[in-house]
Amino acid sequence: MMRCRRATRWMVTALDGELPARRRRALDGHVARCPACRHEMATTAAVLQGVGGLATSSEVPGRLEQATFRRVRLLAAAEAERAATRAWWMRLRLPALGFATAVVATVAVGLMRGSGDRPLAPRPGDGGRRVVAQAPTKDKPPLVASRERGGPQATATVPAEPPPELAAAPELFVDLPLLRNMEKLEHFETIRTTTLDDGEEQSNG
Amino acid sequence: MKRLGIVALLTAVLAAPVVRAQQPRPWHQLSPDEQRRAWENYRRYQQLPEHKQRSLEERYQRFQAMPPQDRDRLRQNYETYRGFDPGQRQEFGQKYRRWKSGQH
Repeated sequence: MMRCRRATRWMVTALDGELPARRRRALDGHVARCPACRHEMATTAAVLQGVGGLATSSEVPGRLEQATFRRVRLLAAAEAERAATRAWWMRLRLPALGFATAVVATVAVGLMRGSGDRPLAPRPGDGGRRVVAQAPTKDKPPLVASRERGGPQATATVPAEPPPELAAAPELFVDLPLLRNMEKLEHFETIRTTTLDDGEEQSNG
Repeated sequence: MKRLGIVALLTAVLAAPVVRAQQPRPWHQLSPDEQRRAWENYRRYQQLPEHKQRSLEERYQRFQAMPPQDRDRLRQNYETYRGFDPGQRQEFGQKYRRWKSGQH
């Protein structure tokens, strides 16, 4: 009889399709009987689906990027000019004002990108479907400009200083969706040419 | 001696881009869009079980150690995989399980 602890440990592997058939059947049997594990499995599936649906890249118009950086430089220059004419006690505040300007500019970039006024170019396989960035609402944070498919909602607010784990290996997180599917991608062509000549997979879910 | 010097120089010139390409970029060298995606993926990563996090870290180390052309091939395959419609994805999943079961 499987226990919840073991079931939880096998869930992610099962959802990745990597759990051997026998274990998968045992897990499915347990999940069918246990409401808590059923809920846990659904939640885990939603999280994994969200990660898997993320893009490894997305299009940002070069003109927008250039315009943003130009705007930031102008803001910084204007701020520096104003600060130079202020009293000494005001000058002490310059770093804080500069930081605030950078934060405002960052937020402005985020809003401009998420304003939904420019559809992004379709990717191969999208069937001509265009993906439009969504504007943030009170109840719904802005979505990634990619094919977000469920899972936890993401926010575009990036902290000024990343957490140590993120700062230590930022590319791990940029490439996370790819890494999740790494085995499939390494043997992509072999898998694609694999034949399905009986119903064994049906029992694997 | 002169020939050896030329070979060494050529090796250095040809290897330099490879070495550069394999160096992981620090946070501040990511584009704003990459930073945003990294941040969002990081938040999702935190919700994964610990053993899954470790597995992803191991895959990352392996990915970083790959030659650039292999990494490009994986990225290309991922783009193709992302382009699958639900039916194609399901079929690919079935084929993957079949292939996987044949590996053991």
